[in-house]
Amino acid sequence: MKFAPLVLKHLHKNWVRTLSTVLALAVCILLFTTLRTVVAAIDFGLHAGNAGRLVTRHNVSLVFTLPLTYKQRIAAFPGVENTVIECWFGGVYRDPKNFFANFAVEPEPFLQVFPEIMLPPEQKERWLNDTRGAIVGRKLAQRFGWKVGDVIPLESTIPPYRIGHPFEFVIDGIYDTDERKYPGTDLNSLYFNYKYLYEATKDRSGGYIGIGWLTVKIANPEDAGKISKAIDAEFENSDKPTKTETEQAFLAGFVAMAGNLALLLNGIGLAVAFTILLVTANTMSIAIRERRQEIAVLKTLGFSSALVLTLILTEALLIGATGGLIGLGLSALLMKWLPNVPMIGDVVATYPNFGLSATTSAFGMGVALLLGLLAGFFPAMSGYRSRIAEALRQV
Amino acid sequence: MSATAVAAKTGAVNVQNVVKIYQRDSQQIKVLDGLTLEVPEGEFLALMGPSGSGKTTLLNLIAGIDRATSGTVRVAGTDLTPLGEGELAKWRSQNIGFIFQFYNLIPVLNALENVELPLLLSHLSKKERRERSLTALRIVGLADRSKHYPRQLSGGQEQRVAIARAIVTDPAVLVADEPTGDLDSKSAEEILDLMQTFNKEFGKTIVMVTHDPRAAARAHTQRHLDKGVLTE
Repeated sequence: MKFAPLVLKHLHKNWVRTLSTVLALAVCILLFTTLRTVVAAIDFGLHAGNAGRLVTRHNVSLVFTLPLTYKQRIAAFPGVENTVIECWFGGVYRDPKNFFANFAVEPEPFLQVFPEIMLPPEQKERWLNDTRGAIVGRKLAQRFGWKVGDVIPLESTIPPYRIGHPFEFVIDGIYDTDERKYPGTDLNSLYFNYKYLYEATKDRSGGYIGIGWLTVKIANPEDAGKISKAIDAEFENSDKPTKTETEQAFLAGFVAMAGNLALLLNGIGLAVAFTILLVTANTMSIAIRERRQEIAVLKTLGFSSALVLTLILTEALLIGATGGLIGLGLSALLMKWLPNVPMIGDVVATYPNFGLSATTSAFGMGVALLLGLLAGFFPAMSGYRSRIAEALRQV
Repeated sequence: MSATAVAAKTGAVNVQNVVKIYQRDSQQIKVLDGLTLEVPEGEFLALMGPSGSGKTTLLNLIAGIDRATSGTVRVAGTDLTPLGEGELAKWRSQNIGFIFQFYNLIPVLNALENVELPLLLSHLSKKERRERSLTALRIVGLADRSKHYPRQLSGGQEQRVAIARAIVTDPAVLVADEPTGDLDSKSAEEILDLMQTFNKEFGKTIVMVTHDPRAAARAHTQRHLDKGVLTE
């Protein structure tokens, strides 16, 4: 501690240089932690899928629907325990900025197949008996201040579901989950009764609106491959061929090329960190080169080479630590601000656990300290190796 | 035998057959050529000689900031030849006070902090360090400038702070490399007065390199170096 004034006063002397180096590091850590948070959110979403659930959809695209009759045919497959019809409704609540996911589902099998969707018994009972009923996730309800019993309008953006006026849904329940048992469960969606959608649109679509996809609950996750192949083989020669995959693979399809995206984001993070490392190392080198004579004086006074090295590394680590803390602070602010940004906030809301985690913070701080240490290493070694007589001769 | 007893017997500085060769690319430059010098305790020695004669090199060897190619250097009772870098640094902090031509104060530290620097290596408490540093500044007549930074001091004042830094650890030997070389005549006189005081009143052994005959005249003894050899 007794050497602290020496270290701090050196940092303060060239405060513009120190500040710019600290800010460069802070920006690096901000980018690094933000990118890692995005990657972690995507990864978390991918792992939220249940291995005991398959998803059967049109093999060309989710845009094309499947016939209702497929539900009964698939339910009859050996190893299949349950099936749920699901449809992407694409409903807009008052303003397109208020984006959230909303699906038409069959309430009873839906709650059986998705045990992570948890409702109080009386709310569950109400929803099962209410065609116009809907359930919303806790976070979505908090976002719009919705309560059970509220009536909300949603107008679909998908032509077959546009009926000239918004659909009106009664909020029968607000679902939650057990975060420890079912991590990654989405609490930002709305589910309503498929029957309501069917009844409201069948006349406009000539009695056929189809289904978006079927979620298939299987008895044994190890049979996933076998059952998927059997289902797809069944409909291979029909005019509506299917593609069946595990729920995890299905989710991965939503975050297109998620693996490559993670690689790309990590690559950007590394490139930024490396660039900042070069900038910081250069700044530190200049700072130490300017103090060659001073280092020689300290050594003359009896400061050992190891102590000189420690003092320079301490300066570098202080810059790293300060940059890291500022970067993490900015990152935390960004994470709080992003959900409130129009459009971006809607995307962020689809990742249930989006936020600066303790692991990412620790990782960011570790990167900041490592950058500081690496940037200070060569200048510190130059100070360690400098010979007093030679350095004094160059005065 | 204690270091003090050894020093009393062998002199504060005892340089025997010292050769110093610098390697410049493929060239070897012999700066000191079998030099022998003995400086008794309490002596004030002035080393004179033309540029490149090896004065500063000899001073650096005595101060333990450079190593002889061959020969032995014994200062304040310690043979410096076998000491490692760390041991030599510790020895310097306890036995040598170095006064530079260009003062070499640390610009970011004030006068008091500059004087306190060598004491940071001791086990003294902060209070004790401050008291000692203030005493040293008082001795050189700059107690009222303790909070001033080097840029706020004149050349003579800077050198006096540098002298306070050199004496604050109460070293046995003071080495000075052209201590008045960058000063006007009045300031130079003040610095030389101070050095004489330390020599006479505190019994410090002083080895001073100088080009200035007036400065050399203040010393008890003058020795001349030429081409790495003591000539008189």
